[in-house]
Amino acid sequence: MASAGLRILLCRRAAVSSGCERLLPLRRMGPCRQPQRRAVAHFTFQPDPEPTQYGPTQKMNLFQAITSALDNTLSRDPTAVIYGEDVAFGGVFRCTVGLRDKYGKERVFNTPLCEQGIVGFGIGVAVAGATSIAEIQFADYIFPAFDQIVNEAAKYRYRSGNLFNCGSLTIRAPWGCVGHGALYHSQSPEAFFAHCPGIKVVIPRSPVQAKGLLLSCIEDKDPCIFFEPKILYRAAVEQVPVEPYYIPLSQAEVLQEGSDVTLIAWGTQIHVIKEVATMAQEKLGVSCEVIDLRTILPWDLETVCKSVVKTGRLLISHEAPVTGGFASEISSSVQEECFLNLEAPIARVCGYDTPFPHIFEPFYIPDKWKCFDALRKMINY
Amino acid sequence: MAGFRALFRGLGRAAVPCRTLTLSHARCQHEFTSLEEKPQFPGASAEFVDKLDFIQPNVIAGIPIYRVMDRQGQIMNPEEDPQLPREKVLKFYRTMTLLNTMDRILYESQRQGRISFYMTNYGEEGTHVGSAAALDDTDLVFGQYREAGVLMYRGYPLDLFMSQCYGNSTDPGKGRQMPVHYGCKDLHFVTISSPLATQIPQAVGAAYAIKREKTDRVVICYFGEGAASEGDAHAGFNFAATLECPILFFCRNNGYAISTPTSEQYRGDGIAARGPGYGLMSIRVDGNDVFAVYNAIKEARRRAVAENQPFLIEAMTYRIGHHSTSDDSSAYRSVDEVNYWDKQDHPISRLRHYMLSKSWWDEEQEKSWRKKSRKMVMEAFEQAERKLKPHPDNMFLDVYSEMPASIKKQQESLWRHLKIYGEHYPLEHYEK
Repeated sequence: MASAGLRILLCRRAAVSSGCERLLPLRRMGPCRQPQRRAVAHFTFQPDPEPTQYGPTQKMNLFQAITSALDNTLSRDPTAVIYGEDVAFGGVFRCTVGLRDKYGKERVFNTPLCEQGIVGFGIGVAVAGATSIAEIQFADYIFPAFDQIVNEAAKYRYRSGNLFNCGSLTIRAPWGCVGHGALYHSQSPEAFFAHCPGIKVVIPRSPVQAKGLLLSCIEDKDPCIFFEPKILYRAAVEQVPVEPYYIPLSQAEVLQEGSDVTLIAWGTQIHVIKEVATMAQEKLGVSCEVIDLRTILPWDLETVCKSVVKTGRLLISHEAPVTGGFASEISSSVQEECFLNLEAPIARVCGYDTPFPHIFEPFYIPDKWKCFDALRKMINY
Repeated sequence: MAGFRALFRGLGRAAVPCRTLTLSHARCQHEFTSLEEKPQFPGASAEFVDKLDFIQPNVIAGIPIYRVMDRQGQIMNPEEDPQLPREKVLKFYRTMTLLNTMDRILYESQRQGRISFYMTNYGEEGTHVGSAAALDDTDLVFGQYREAGVLMYRGYPLDLFMSQCYGNSTDPGKGRQMPVHYGCKDLHFVTISSPLATQIPQAVGAAYAIKREKTDRVVICYFGEGAASEGDAHAGFNFAATLECPILFFCRNNGYAISTPTSEQYRGDGIAARGPGYGLMSIRVDGNDVFAVYNAIKEARRRAVAENQPFLIEAMTYRIGHHSTSDDSSAYRSVDEVNYWDKQDHPISRLRHYMLSKSWWDEEQEKSWRKKSRKMVMEAFEQAERKLKPHPDNMFLDVYSEMPASIKKQQESLWRHLKIYGEHYPLEHYEK
C-alpha cells in the first residue's frame, strides 16, 4: 500500500471537514465566483440516552471512546499491546493519542507499512498468549492481510484441534464512507469477512456502543475485526462511561419498537434508518421497528426473525455494494425462517455494484430518500 | 561486486554498536546541521560520492557456506568442533534415521492408498536435528511442513505422528488437517498450516510477546527458499529487525520449490544475502553438516536472547525425495543429480562416518538399530491404522471458542440427515 501520505492528508482533511472557513478566502481567488456548497451530511447522529449503570460518564466523540477503551485495556492487562501504521503519535484519526506516553513505547508502537505483516505479527502475539490489538489504517487496506485473516487467524483454533489459538487478537479499522473518500477511503468490506467461519466482525453506531463493543472484542476468545465508522469519529458525541463496560457480541439491538415494518442496518446507516422511521411515521403513518445488527458474524438471527414475525416486512440497508453484500445473507435467512409471516418481498437498499466514487458520492450512498422510497413501495405492495 | 561486499561488512559493523547501546530505533541519527556538506537525508546514513557507480550484486562468489566436517565426517577445523558428547551425537543419529524410517514407511503407505498424502524429509534430516538440538526445549517453533525431525528430536511419539497422518481418534488435531500438518503444545511446536510463509510474520509477533515476558526464550521459524519469495517473508524480516525480536529465521534452501529451480525463484545470492538488506545478522551453512547447523543455531540463539535481535540462517541442502506424494520429481530433474546427493553427500551418512571414526558406532549397531527402529515404526503404524476416526461432531467444534447458535443448528441438521441417510456415509469408521 503505497499511499500512506495520501491517507494522512485525507484524514487531516476529514478532521477539519466541518470547519472549512479558513479555506474560503482562497476559493474566492479561484475562477468560481460562488464558493461550492459542501454537501450536507447524509445522516444526523442521534445520541442514545446517557447510560447510568456503569458509573460516571464523560462527553466523548467516537474516537475518544475508542481511546478510552484502549486505555482501560492497557491499564488492566499488562500483556496488551497496540501497533500499526502511525499509532505511536496518536494515529491519523487520533484514536491512540496519549497512550504511548502513558504505557510506554514497548506497548504502543509503529510497525513498518505492511498490512499482511501487521496481521501476521498480531496473530503471533496472540498465539504467544498476549492481548494483541492491531490497527489497519483504513478498512480499504485490509485486503493485503486477507490471507492472514481468512486462512490463518480464522482457522487457527480449528486446525490445531484447539492446541493453539489467536483468540486474543483484535483488528481495528476505520470503515465506511466519509463524504470524499472515493475508492480507497470509503469501503465497507464486512461481507468479504462474513463468508469466513472463525472470525467475528463487529460494527458500532455510536461512542457508547463503540467502547462497550470494542472492550468485548478485545476480551473475546476469538479473533475479532472491529470496524469504526470514520465519519462518526468526530461527528458523534455523547456521554460515555469512563470505566470499562461490555456490550455483548452477536446480539442485535432493537432501538425502536414498531409494528408495520422492520428496518435493519449497522454503523452510520443506523442513523439513516432512524430518520427514515420518523419520516415513515410522519408522512405515511407507518410504525417502524429499527434494529442495529451490531455484530455481522456470527449474527443474531433470532432477534431479527422475532421482529419480522411481528411486522411481516423487512428492509435491510448497507453502504456496501448490493451483490454479495451482507443484506443477501439476512434476506435469505429471514425468508427461510419467516416465509409464512412475510407480506412483501424483502427490500435491500444498498450501495450500487460499482467502486465507491469520488464526486458522485451523494448519488451513490443509500440515503434516507432511497430508503424511504423503497419502504413506501414495500408498504404499498 | 567489491562494492556490495564492502557494503555488507559495513552494515554488519554499524549495526552492532547501535544495538548494544540499546538505541531502540532510529539507528545512527545525525545531529541536524544543514550547513555541513554531509548528507542529511533521514532515510540512510551514508557519505556522498562524486562518481556514478551502481552497486552490483555478488552472485558468482556468494556468501560462503560454513562447514564443520567434510563429506567423510572429518572435523575440518578443531576450533569449530562443538565436541558434543557421545550420547548427544547418538541421539542426533537415531533421530535422523528414525525419521528416515518413518518417511519410508509412510511414503509407501500413501502409495498403497492407506493415507491420503505424505511429504518426506529425505536429505534435510540434518537441518532439523542440528537446529533442534541447539535450542532450549521451550523455545517456540514455527515451521513450514518439512521439519518433522524437530518434533522427533523433542520426543514427539511415533503414535502421534501416525495419528495425525491417519486423522484417527488420537490425533490431537482431531483429524481436520491433511497429513504432516503436525502440532504439539507441550513441545512448543506450533501447528503447521499449508499456506506458505504465513508463519513468518506470526513467528515475529510471538517473539515480540516472548521478549516482553523476559523469559530468555527465542522463537525459531523454518521455511523453504520458495516460501521466501512470498510477501509474508518480506514482512517478517522487516518487522523482526525494526521491532527488535529474538527470532531465528531458518531457511531450508533445498534447490527446488516443487518443480521450480532456484534460478526461477530468485536472482540474488540466495536467501542469506537478503538478510543484511533488512539489517539481519545472517549466515549460510552446510545443511548436510549437522554440526555446522548446530553451531550456527547455538550462537545465533545466544545472541538473539542477549541482544533482542533477529538472525537469518540459510542452510544449503538438496531435496532428495519428491516434493510430495502428489509429485513425480523425475519430470523436472535428473536421476543422476538426485543420486549424487543421496549417495555422496547425505547428512545421515556423513554423521555415520563421524561416529565410525570415533568408534561410537559399528556395523552391528547399525543393523540392530535399523531393525529396532523399523519395528517401532511398524508397530505405531499398525496401531494407528486400526483406530477409528474421531466422532463427526468434531467437524463443528473449535471453529470458535464457543459454538455459535448457527453452527449448532447445522450440527443438528447433519444428525437429522444421518438418521435417515446414514447408510450412505462411512459412519462405521468413526467414533460413536
